[in-house]
Amino acid sequence: MVKDYLEGKPLRHPLHPMLVHFPIGLFFLSFLFDLASLVFPSQMYLVRDSFYAMLLGAIMALVAAVPGFVDYTDIRNDHPGKRTATAHLILNLIVVGLYGINLGVRSSMLSDPRIRTGPFVLSLVGICLLCASGYLGGRLVYDDGIGVGRHKRHMPPPRDTIHLTVPIPGADSVFVPIMAAQQLRERETLRVEIGGQIMTIAKIDNQLFAFQEFCTHRFGPLSEGKFEGFNVQCPWHNSCFDVRTGKVTNGPAKVDLKILKVEMREGKVGVPLPRQIKST
Amino acid sequence: MNRLLDFLKGKWLGHPLHPILVHVPMAMWPGALIFDLLSKWQIGGNAMVRLSFCAIVFGLLASLLAVPAGVVDWSGIKKEKPAWKIGLYHMILNLLVALLFAINLGLRVQTFREATTVAGVPLLLSILGTALLIGSAYLGGMMTYTYGISVARMSKDKWRKIAEAGGANLPPE
Repeated sequence: MVKDYLEGKPLRHPLHPMLVHFPIGLFFLSFLFDLASLVFPSQMYLVRDSFYAMLLGAIMALVAAVPGFVDYTDIRNDHPGKRTATAHLILNLIVVGLYGINLGVRSSMLSDPRIRTGPFVLSLVGICLLCASGYLGGRLVYDDGIGVGRHKRHMPPPRDTIHLTVPIPGADSVFVPIMAAQQLRERETLRVEIGGQIMTIAKIDNQLFAFQEFCTHRFGPLSEGKFEGFNVQCPWHNSCFDVRTGKVTNGPAKVDLKILKVEMREGKVGVPLPRQIKST
Repeated sequence: MNRLLDFLKGKWLGHPLHPILVHVPMAMWPGALIFDLLSKWQIGGNAMVRLSFCAIVFGLLASLLAVPAGVVDWSGIKKEKPAWKIGLYHMILNLLVALLFAINLGLRVQTFREATTVAGVPLLLSILGTALLIGSAYLGGMMTYTYGISVARMSKDKWRKIAEAGGANLPPE
């Protein structure tokens, strides 16, 4: 529950990207005051203004960090964006640490007419790292779709991709049992890779369905999609597909999904695959 | 002309430009309100009045670039999409907010150097501007997080490769 709030689900908007406007803007404002104090040392209080802007920025950075951590833990472990997210997290912690030191150094020099070199350099480094980190955060959203459409989903997304190997091909086709599929709850999904093929396994109306993981519009992750009736909705641009047939039921996607049959053989749930898929 | 459009879309950065730039007004203007309130409560005195003034100025400067970048992003949305209308409201609200803060700034120019507390009308304008800004920013966030505007626009080649390797049906290039 708390997690849902920190992910911004009641707001239908992730919290972390909302809150980060404040530290970014305020640290930037603080730096502008530093510059102003160097150019106009006759102006009183610029150093003090800079301190207050920085203090407010640091407080807001700590506030924004909490939902940020939660968002981080929600990214699938083998997601291509996970490394970017780790770098974003580490950089942000360094930035907050630097500003903490910076505030400590400044607290004893509030009545200076111009900022001293030490804290000025700290701010400069802080701003540069913050820009880099903010850029990475933006790439997470706009390249990797992290947090996009997440609030529409009711169930938690898969934490990992399950990798299964294809057994030695049989006479007609190979049958790959998927043990984890037996424990799925209603509208929950698995992300499964078998012989290079990546698919979503979803449980709807007590039946299991398997279909390609990637949306046919811009390749959004359907294992993180929203389910309504027998439709899966891509979290990114809201294309809808019927999971029984793979047919597009709502655009922008135009191409149907590849679907796979889910069968029960010898008490095991799995997918039969045509023989041409090689074992890895 | 095309170069200018590509610049405003953020192609050179590999990241849409509008959502980066809006951090500045989005932080500065509510920041200005906070500084106004602090000055009203006798905390910080003239330092707060001047902080607020500078925050409004920086917010306006950044919005000079954020507005064209946003308009370019919006013009790429098809008119029949729900995001088009949300984008239109987002734009109208933002222009209104920028106008309110420009008026707000005009009212402060004479007095901000000496005043130790903010006057009533500028304070009200800050409150109104901030409230509208939050509403407008929420709409902007909705465009990204609900409708996926600009999402996977610049990374679609990367994702196509991943989807292709994963054996998916693909759209025509």
